[in-house]
Amino acid sequence: MIAYTRASTRAWSMLGSSGAFGLAAMELPELDSSVAILSADLSFFSGLDRFRAKYPERLFNIGIAEQNMVCVAAGMAKEGHKVFATTYATFASARSCDQVRVSMGYMQSDIKLVGLAAGLSVGILGPTHMSIEDLAVMRAIPNMTVVSPADCTATVKATLAAAKHKGPMYLRLTGVQNNPTVYQADFEFTIGKAIRLRDGDDIAIIATGTMVHAALEAATLLAERQIACTVIDMHTIKPLDEAAVKETLGAKLLVTIEEHNKKGGLGGAVAECLALVPRKPPQLVLGMTDEFYHGADYHYLLEKNGLTARQIAESILASYEQVLA
Amino acid sequence: MHDVTAAAIREPVRARGPGSEPRGFDAARCRAAARQIRRYVMQMSLTAGPHGAHAGGALSMVEILSVLYLEVMRYDVKNPLWEQRDRFILSKGHGSPSLYAALCLAGFLDEKELATFKANETRLYGHPSMNPSMGIEFSSGSLGHGLSLGVGSALALKIRGNAASRVFVVLGDGELNEGSVWEAAMSAAHFGLPNLVAIVDRNGMQYDGFTEPVMNTGDLAAKWRSFGWMVREVDGHDVSAVHDALTAPTAGSGQSGGAAPLAIIARTIRGKGVSFMENARVWHHSRLTQAMYDQAMAELDASAETAATPIDRGGSRRP
Amino acid sequence: MTNLQKYTKAFVEAFDVAEDALPTLVYQAVPSWDSVGHMGLMAVLEEAFGITLDIDDVIDFSSFVRGQELLRKYGVEI
Repeated sequence: MIAYTRASTRAWSMLGSSGAFGLAAMELPELDSSVAILSADLSFFSGLDRFRAKYPERLFNIGIAEQNMVCVAAGMAKEGHKVFATTYATFASARSCDQVRVSMGYMQSDIKLVGLAAGLSVGILGPTHMSIEDLAVMRAIPNMTVVSPADCTATVKATLAAAKHKGPMYLRLTGVQNNPTVYQADFEFTIGKAIRLRDGDDIAIIATGTMVHAALEAATLLAERQIACTVIDMHTIKPLDEAAVKETLGAKLLVTIEEHNKKGGLGGAVAECLALVPRKPPQLVLGMTDEFYHGADYHYLLEKNGLTARQIAESILASYEQVLA
Repeated sequence: MHDVTAAAIREPVRARGPGSEPRGFDAARCRAAARQIRRYVMQMSLTAGPHGAHAGGALSMVEILSVLYLEVMRYDVKNPLWEQRDRFILSKGHGSPSLYAALCLAGFLDEKELATFKANETRLYGHPSMNPSMGIEFSSGSLGHGLSLGVGSALALKIRGNAASRVFVVLGDGELNEGSVWEAAMSAAHFGLPNLVAIVDRNGMQYDGFTEPVMNTGDLAAKWRSFGWMVREVDGHDVSAVHDALTAPTAGSGQSGGAAPLAIIARTIRGKGVSFMENARVWHHSRLTQAMYDQAMAELDASAETAATPIDRGGSRRP
Repeated sequence: MTNLQKYTKAFVEAFDVAEDALPTLVYQAVPSWDSVGHMGLMAVLEEAFGITLDIDDVIDFSSFVRGQELLRKYGVEI
């Protein structure tokens, strides 16, 4: 039984999203006796040591073979298992993309594909391990549900929700150890339903993953300049909570923020949603710049991409001043 | 649709499921079924018209399918997801015309539906689309996935103690270029899956011609053995040999201490049964004209089983 | 409760070990002191002493004894 206390949410934050997933995984066999977890040689990175110790018969290491993993998962899902499969986000979307689109998208296999270390979190290993485009890829595959939890508490909630969800899902885990906490207690998490965390009439910020916390910090900085921001946690990129997006139409500026390429991810999804709306605020899309960086520390890379809270606030301010002019 | 002669099969074998009686292997019946499958493939290819058809690769695996669906596999057309069924996965999905023909003989499809092959509102696509009521376990077409799907299925069956059901995966030899196949092969031996059978339709050809100059796959038997599989090599057009390979006991120990998965390397001829298609590069996929069709059907009619033994309807199979 | 009592209680509850095992207890010496257990302990100690640990200290916190030394940096005398 999971307890959502200050101490536990703090512990999860220190573990990071993979560790939080591993902890949540311990609850899965009780939720569904058919649960099986596959990993492409990343069971330790996935935080699954305790799961392996307690449920060795439910954990299958497929080795460094992501393509095989997705289809093995599909074979098992067809035979009645609820399957989670874990690998790095970039390999999930690029290396095994064909298997994902055919087995998960086309055949709608009940697989929850967990993309570890999405965005820049293992950017120290270089561009091959930065998942820049996984949201763009996954949301363009029909029948995929795409979920990007804001913090480690939300990662736990999303994992448990995934176990109850029927159908193919991509679960995108961002951040590193000491992942900032947005949710310090239990909260209602429903796939497809965005969460409004802060209200403000001037600017609406829609963020996902790690950028939710950054958005909240940026909103606090902007408040010091008497600029009031709404902040929305858009944890489900697909299906996008279009109603929540359309509630922001009264703002003078709409901002989307993601630890993902500015092209094709949350920003694109929101823009598509509003494309036919005649009167809407301009949209500032913040995200990773469309280039490959040399490997570097996570926080350094965030700064290079303008994704620290301070930089986000400055970008928003600059756009806002242009809008008002 | 060209009329089928009296010697051909009219009624499919309905079920070889629960309650069916054991019956000995009937080679003549298999050969007759193989010939009928070839006829159906030609009919579908003609119907496809300008869309063309993957006739060559469909024809090379006909005996494999006739033996599997008439003599080896257990299934129940009235209960297509019957837990005790054997699973069939066509990893070389472009061989779909033969699969549809075999499913027709098995009773999953009506003969009339074969005429809808590649039509706009059909269920019979150029590549198989997952549909349990039709007996199609998984969609295929993107090469290199099927053996992995088979590993997952066989693994799940093993986990829940279903030792009776087997998983048969037919792959092309060109398909073995795909690295993902070898990921699957490695994992099958690792997990110890004696219920998994890979059948390589080794017709020695792929889209760009013969496999050897395109991408030489070398000694396939040695490769599969080195991956921990038991290997049997057969003439893929000899129904008795194919039957023996599929049914002979597989006692032996794999690398996990359990029995090893089985790889059958079936030497075949791409386009087998139609002279102008055999080993012809273009017949990976090409358009069948009426004249070609007439010639093909004449050759099939003239083939050895002209006085064919009618297929014994009744769905009797070993339980 | 003294600081030492709070500190000891946190360890005993986190790892289900006897008090007399604590002086020599190190990370990974018992199954429950894995990375998950470690972060759980860190969170409990933060709450017990009203502090926020630096990530470097979290990583450096390798034993019952070492932890006492580290907490001194945060004004916690044990």
